[in-house]
Amino acid sequence: MRKWIVPLTIVCLITGFLLAFQLKALTDASSVNPMSQKNNNLISIIQNLEQEITGQENQVEKIRQELDTLQQNQQAPGKLNEMQEQLRDMRLWAGLTPVVGNGVIITVDDNKEGLKAKPNDDPNRYIVHYEHILSLVSELKRGGAEAISVNGQRLITTSEIRCVGNVILVNTTRIAPPFEIRAIGSPHNLAEMVTNGELEVMKATNYPISFQAENEVIIPAYKGELQFDLSQVAKED
Amino acid sequence: MRKYRWQAPLTLVFIVLGIFLSLQYQSQNLIGSDLSMQRTENLIAMVRGLSEKRQKLALEIVDLNMHFNSQQNSYLDESKLAENLISDMNKMSFLTGSTTLNGAGLIITIGQSMPILYIDIIDIVNELWAAGAEAITINEVRINGQSVIFYTEDDYSMYITINNTRLEFPVVIKALGEPNNLEKGLTLPGGIIDTLALFKAYPILEKSNSLTMPPVFNQPSHIFLSEYKPPEQTAATEPAKTP
Repeated sequence: MRKWIVPLTIVCLITGFLLAFQLKALTDASSVNPMSQKNNNLISIIQNLEQEITGQENQVEKIRQELDTLQQNQQAPGKLNEMQEQLRDMRLWAGLTPVVGNGVIITVDDNKEGLKAKPNDDPNRYIVHYEHILSLVSELKRGGAEAISVNGQRLITTSEIRCVGNVILVNTTRIAPPFEIRAIGSPHNLAEMVTNGELEVMKATNYPISFQAENEVIIPAYKGELQFDLSQVAKED
Repeated sequence: MRKYRWQAPLTLVFIVLGIFLSLQYQSQNLIGSDLSMQRTENLIAMVRGLSEKRQKLALEIVDLNMHFNSQQNSYLDESKLAENLISDMNKMSFLTGSTTLNGAGLIITIGQSMPILYIDIIDIVNELWAAGAEAITINEVRINGQSVIFYTEDDYSMYITINNTRLEFPVVIKALGEPNNLEKGLTLPGGIIDTLALFKAYPILEKSNSLTMPPVFNQPSHIFLSEYKPPEQTAATEPAKTP
């Protein structure tokens, strides 16, 4: 009569275990609920803002180009001409000009294969984090990079590379894998830095990576805002 | 029939088990970098960041249009042209670091005995830019896009270097910007200050109303890079790659 007790106990135990596991997975990803209406609204707000920002950035780029052409066409007399040259040089260094030159193109991607093989493992060990990109960029700078871009975002002095959740932002712009980092500089020096550093580490942990030296790496200009209104340029005496 | 009384409860238990199993599988697949996988608070943070960016871009467009008109109207007016050029150059100097700047900001002091790596300095600088810093110096060395924060080692130990010069302790990082925003950027929960505390490093933050940032010593020379002129003047030829 009590024959069913043993199998039922076992089944209940398993169910209990799974329940606990399920609960844990839910707390890990607390409030991640793709079906939530609130999140859907937020996502559509984000997408609208991004669309609008892309339009604004194109407009900024266009006016900057027109202004540049205008300044070049206005044959300025002597001293002004010199200043114009100086300004062009500053723009080049600041990252406001599209540039071309010898350099390298690095791509890194999430380790999707690895995660597929071990679906129960922590997925954070398989996705590319902002720290990876930040390290690669620092190494490229150490290797003498003269210009760097990440997925088409030109890095300027005030550029930040960070994450919100698992989303990587560069110049407050969302970028998605695969990540393509372009750098202009001595291909030999750049290669030496990254292949003995972060790229090697990523390769060893099975991230799909590629590294290519090229003669003509093209890096776009910075298209964002330059609103500096909190500090003042000191008057020169 | 008495023998099979356990069938009904067991079936029920298996159904529940099946449901949990499939749910479990689903939640495992829901973690990634797609927007739909993000937490609500992160989405809100992104909306906030993007709104701020849109606002700044709108201001930039107004500025640029004004600048364009002024440039167009001041044709042959030498003093007006000079004025425009100087204001342009001043703006660029924030990025090249070629002028002295004054303003309010934040001072971060990292003492002698704190275990700090070069990557921590990079992180702090990165967070300060993200929090809206307009200029940064590390031990009075102005940081710009070409600045190199790295490390070097000798027989005894490892040193942090700024532009290949050894960084001496105490490390004093100064940032120009809205002091409260800069502080918040570093001290938010789970932020860089929290992370450093795990390694028993406790930088001291101090707001200041008047900071002076020296210019960079020398502008670098470009060897490999030159201006890119697209064959056709269309933006489409640029290798822009956004998601």
